[in-house]
Amino acid sequence: MTSATELPAAAPAEPSEPFGLGSSPLRTDALPKALGIYPYAADLWAEGLLWGAMLRSPHPHARIVSVDTSAALAVPGVHAVVTAADLPPGPDGTPDGAPAGPIVADRPVLAADVVRHHGEPIAAVAADHPDTARLAAASIVVEYELLEPVTDPEAAFNAPPIHPDGNLLRHLPLRTGDPEATGEIVVEGLYQVGRQDPAPIGAEAGLAVPRPDGGVELHLSTTDPHGDRDRTAACLGLEPDRVRLVVTGVPGATSDREDLSFQVSLALLALRTGRPVKMTLTREESFQAHTSRHPALLRYRHHADAEGKLVKVEAQILLDGGAYADVSAEALAAAVAFSAGPYVCPNVFVDAWAVRTNNPPSGRMRGEGALQACFAHESQMDQLAARIGVDPMEIRRRNAMATGDPLPTGQAVTCPAPVDALLDALTESPLPALPVDDPEADWLLPGGPGGAGDPAAVRRGIGYAVGMVHMLGAEGEDEVSTATVRVSGDHATVICAAVDSGQGFATLARQIVQTVLGVSEVYIAPVDSDQSEAGPSARGRHTWVSGGAVERAALMVRHQMLQPIAADFGMSVELLTIADGKISSYDGVLGMPVSEALEGRELWATAQCRPHPTEPLDENGQGDAFVSIAFCAMRAVVDVDIELGAVRVVDVTVAQDVGRALNPRQIEDRIEAAVAQGVGLALLEDLRTEGGLLVNPSLTGYRLPTALDTPDIRIASLVEERDVVATFGAKAVSAVPAVVAPAAVAAAVRAATGLPVGRLPIQPEDAAVA
Amino acid sequence: MEHGGILVNRTIMLPTSVDEAVEALAATPGAVPVAGATDLMEAVNAGRLRPAALIGLGRITELRGWRYEDGGTAVLGAGLTHARMDRPDFAALIPALADAARTAGPPQVRNVGTLGGNIATAAPTGDTLPVLAALEATATLARAGSVREVPISHLLTGLDPLRPGELLTWVRVPLLHAPQVFLKAGGRSGPARATASVALVLDPARRAVRCAVGAAAPVPLRPLEAEAWVAGCIDWDARGEEGAALIDPAALAAFGEYVAGACVPDTGLPGEGPGSAAARLRRTVSVLARRALGRALK
Ligand SMILES: Cc1cc2nc3c(=O)[nH]c(=O)nc-3n(C[C@H](O)[C@H](O)[C@H](O)COP(=O)(O)OP(=O)(O)OC[C@H]3O[C@@H](n4cnc5c(N)ncnc54)[C@H](O)[C@@H]3O)c2cc1C
Repeated sequence: MTSATELPAAAPAEPSEPFGLGSSPLRTDALPKALGIYPYAADLWAEGLLWGAMLRSPHPHARIVSVDTSAALAVPGVHAVVTAADLPPGPDGTPDGAPAGPIVADRPVLAADVVRHHGEPIAAVAADHPDTARLAAASIVVEYELLEPVTDPEAAFNAPPIHPDGNLLRHLPLRTGDPEATGEIVVEGLYQVGRQDPAPIGAEAGLAVPRPDGGVELHLSTTDPHGDRDRTAACLGLEPDRVRLVVTGVPGATSDREDLSFQVSLALLALRTGRPVKMTLTREESFQAHTSRHPALLRYRHHADAEGKLVKVEAQILLDGGAYADVSAEALAAAVAFSAGPYVCPNVFVDAWAVRTNNPPSGRMRGEGALQACFAHESQMDQLAARIGVDPMEIRRRNAMATGDPLPTGQAVTCPAPVDALLDALTESPLPALPVDDPEADWLLPGGPGGAGDPAAVRRGIGYAVGMVHMLGAEGEDEVSTATVRVSGDHATVICAAVDSGQGFATLARQIVQTVLGVSEVYIAPVDSDQSEAGPSARGRHTWVSGGAVERAALMVRHQMLQPIAADFGMSVELLTIADGKISSYDGVLGMPVSEALEGRELWATAQCRPHPTEPLDENGQGDAFVSIAFCAMRAVVDVDIELGAVRVVDVTVAQDVGRALNPRQIEDRIEAAVAQGVGLALLEDLRTEGGLLVNPSLTGYRLPTALDTPDIRIASLVEERDVVATFGAKAVSAVPAVVAPAAVAAAVRAATGLPVGRLPIQPEDAAVA
Repeated sequence: MEHGGILVNRTIMLPTSVDEAVEALAATPGAVPVAGATDLMEAVNAGRLRPAALIGLGRITELRGWRYEDGGTAVLGAGLTHARMDRPDFAALIPALADAARTAGPPQVRNVGTLGGNIATAAPTGDTLPVLAALEATATLARAGSVREVPISHLLTGLDPLRPGELLTWVRVPLLHAPQVFLKAGGRSGPARATASVALVLDPARRAVRCAVGAAAPVPLRPLEAEAWVAGCIDWDARGEEGAALIDPAALAAFGEYVAGACVPDTGLPGEGPGSAAARLRRTVSVLARRALGRALK
């Protein structure tokens, strides 16, 4: 656990540049990225490199009768073709092809006997030209025996097992309180969430270089260098220290990045050929390869008393895990624990399942599980408000959770739960202007410029939503990170394997060291897997665990630096402060530059941060499963063309529980990014399948929000109530706005149209008033 | 780049006149013309097209502009970009085509994508196509030693398709000096492919309304009966009079339904009921057609 030491106020009175925690320095990668000179994995190059390509299944479910690679090997320029036969077999009862996976090792790197989803990799080729590699991969002859795909998650329960592990990935019941309890008011709803894809700007790309010791070095935009190293090594039958992952620039990650099949195949090709191999996936392959958000079906019944106080929440939640387990178990835990939302409810009864289907595998994406539940519980709260005739904000106020209240899992929310403060901030925030106040030519109507929008058919709607998401790994996962800090001369270096996936960790680490050590020049070392482990960039964990490790290492360095000086002056270290590159004593007698105190020495320290442990949810869904929770409230304002069903989100105003704003500008950026993604899910983004086949795996077919689709995003308040056990009291900020935004947009569309809006993304026919 | 380029060792020719271009086409078997390459490179990158040679049309300056003929016709170069067609001088001439060009993709694409490419690709979602159909435009197709004139609709339906070795050079469009509207439903506020579009032009000289529906079928559809019917509902003599109602609102709505019913027929088959994809499309087309005529007569 991190000490929440109050640090000496280190920021100089008039900083020339933003300095230390609480300021908003520019991210170091901002300029290179804007100028297009930031090196991504797809830009890598090595002398004599070969090009890799994959062969993927055109079927969602089929038995592989035979794979004949001879035609591919005969193509001039082809250096290697690898299949599952080149990988170690899986342990008994698992599929062959080196099965691996983040929680359960159930996913073959290359399919051996059965393909379970459209685009599942079967073979990989290395050739001296990318075209040659692609053509050769296409010439591999695979004989399939087609199997009936299981594409309806509700049918998965009784369908023949599509994997040795069966079709049920997890069943998680939650029971708390009196099952017989009833309320005067009962509202029910069925809610559906589609398949959102992370659709990162940069598709998967990487370079593998064989090492003289028989190992391999992988240059990838991984967000979990050690996890990926270990899994890759295991799949290749190598010791982990024979595989080195070097993290290149990450071109966008709101989920896990490169999938295991990609990196293991790449490594295997390099080992086979003894030459560097580079591979970049096409956009279509990218959609096929990485995991997407769990499609969900949620059936809810809320009981409340006449005043709208919740009496009982009953829910059935079904997540479509797709072909492989991935993190479905974890997503399900979040969906169940947060099924009632940030409200107090004495009686909660939930049954939730994650099932295996022949649909594309689902995995990690901002607020997995919590997002789906949020759409449902917030829709229910709106129904309740309508039934008892109160304002949507009022129903939320009457039920709002506060610090100390229990979750339905029995865990007390000991971290700040400032739900009331968030609602107040939204109430006080002014509404955006009505378009009637603007000249007609300036209106951006639903449908966009040049669209068919008609002002006479446009209705405005305002909707609210509140939601929550846990941060850090849950249910007993060991959370830990390690960091090293070095000071020499007038600058410091941070070595920490926490990947800056765009979330801004590098900037934060710099600010932490500035604050603790008073030096302004802080260099953040590039990340590779030879460094100590920091864990994945996911679940909003690095601010806490890696930020905590950096803080502790910096404090240790500080102590080493000040100890001799304090001893000289016969005072305790606590009476010395470092600010503006200078060490001073409380009485002002001492004033010494940091560089002088160092006397040419280098000081190093390495430290770890390990938050308090959690425990798995039991057979009744009870247990202290989470380290901490972040809350967010949002108001969305939409314009709907009620004839065409076209929706434009005009404004989203956000009040968020951040614990402490360590970098306000960066927090705003993260909120904007998450709201944009949430708006995308609410209105546009859906990776569709038909009979298990991907229908729209392209950026034309899969519609991302453009600048014109992204609303004005305003921060009503960043509520700073410190979480005393968290590093610097700060909470993770990136996931919770993505969890809440879709629910808020749906509520606003409901308000504009009077229609029920039970699914996401909202289709034109869901918003068109017949 | 030594390895990266996909067109390594393939011929690229850059003629500067139509004659040179058609000769090059005739002389190079398997050669494919390319203008803005916004469709072509997508096909190449996806592996659907591997042209043996490319004939770039970008240097044929005469095809990048337009001229007038017989006072009543504009002759548009196939190399006109969407961005160029969206400029005010062009928009004053053929407003519906300018409207369509304005919505044909993001600015980067419209800066290079051309009218000729849009026609030759003949995608169901090609935004200029319903406008050209409503305008009853014709295309000039040139090959070494011969030239022929074909209605765009024949080109698109495959009745008289573009033949190998042929270059689309000019598009003839009547100048109608009357309101024209192009409306597109696209599914997002930013640039998107049409889910349905309607082009509508008034031809006051012939007291006619011409309309075409895009993206509802592989080619633009003309609801000829609806056009003829609604032309009779319009008070043509009141045109230009301040505040005159040119059409009864009920007729506007009926026109929308008429167009939608004609272009997205209700087959009565199971699965085509209310809420089906066809019913949704019909509804969208109906709203677009009603709004288009309403705006043209405003
Ligand atoms: C991101 C993106 C968004 C898009 N959005 C839209 C949209 O909203 N609406 C829309 O309509 N289109 C859209 N397009 C498609 C495309 O931009 C248009 O169809 C454009 O008009 C094509 O013109 P081009 O000059 O780029 O054609 P090219 O790609 O150069 O050529 C396309 C085809 O036409 C042939 N060709 C070109 N010129 C001639 C000629 N003179 N004679 C004979 N054959 C010829 C080529 O051989 C090729 O087969 C989009 C494209 C992209 C990449």
